Amino acid sequence: MSGEDYDGLDRGDNDGQKPDKMFTLKKWNAVAMWSWDVECDTCAICRVQVMDACLRCQGESKKDSYGKQDCVVVWGECNHSFHFCCMSLWVKQNNRCPLCQQEWSIQRMGK
Amino acid sequence: MITLNRKLKKEHTEPTNGLTTAESIVRRISVRDKLLIKEVQEMNENLPATCSVHFEDPNVLSEFILTVAPDEGYWQGGKFKFTVIVTEDYNMAPPRVKCQTRLWHPNINVDGDVCLSLLRQTSIDEHGWAPTRRLKDVVWGLNALFTDLLNFEDPLNIEAAEMYNKNKTEFQTKVQDYITKGKR
Repeated sequence: MSGEDYDGLDRGDNDGQKPDKMFTLKKWNAVAMWSWDVECDTCAICRVQVMDACLRCQGESKKDSYGKQDCVVVWGECNHSFHFCCMSLWVKQNNRCPLCQQEWSIQRMGK
Repeated sequence: MITLNRKLKKEHTEPTNGLTTAESIVRRISVRDKLLIKEVQEMNENLPATCSVHFEDPNVLSEFILTVAPDEGYWQGGKFKFTVIVTEDYNMAPPRVKCQTRLWHPNINVDGDVCLSLLRQTSIDEHGWAPTRRLKDVVWGLNALFTDLLNFEDPLNIEAAEMYNKNKTEFQTKVQDYITKGKR
């Protein structure tokens, strides 16, 4: 019983109320982020996002039948991705991935 | 920079006269120039303390002079000027570099030819040119030729390397002779 008495005394110090909240959240905005599901999202050759047309094609403004810029992405066996246009220019002189120096072979192509 | 951007826009809006070869040259130049807009800025922001760059014509980003003033090693006290010319096929091909200051160095001959692996167009190993390299890497490489990348094992100026292997004092004296000769 004496223990309870002490408790009572302690509460008395806090005026017998719950402690004040540190802060109250009055309003909040949700923000969502997204990114392409690829290991390297910028073409290391022309430094443009692989999902956009490469620097060369942007200059030419080539369009495919859907009116979109026809500049596809290529993934190597090493999992590095580049614009097909950029990579085909480079492999003409050196058939290696410029990022990891592995022999370049195409794993898949597309968007 | 602003003027170049405007120039690029103008090139794109100009009507084409069906001249395919002229068009393709303009296109190649513009890819290089677009890369240069980014890379020159990046190079300036990452310039080593021993380096400075100068553009003779501020509207031409493809030609500049790099000055390296080493603060340690055999070439300390010297100032070495390199002309860097970024050709139209950049970044599939490395910039062309020539040393304008006569110097005694195992990897730079007295004609100004520079032996630096990353400037090599065709290379079997990973040290050669790759389109993933940028201007700042070239500056870093040339700067490091006086320190970390100094290589007596695979010399371009064989005489200089042999002198170093035989007599380091003689080599040091000759390096400093070239520096003082250059200052006169």
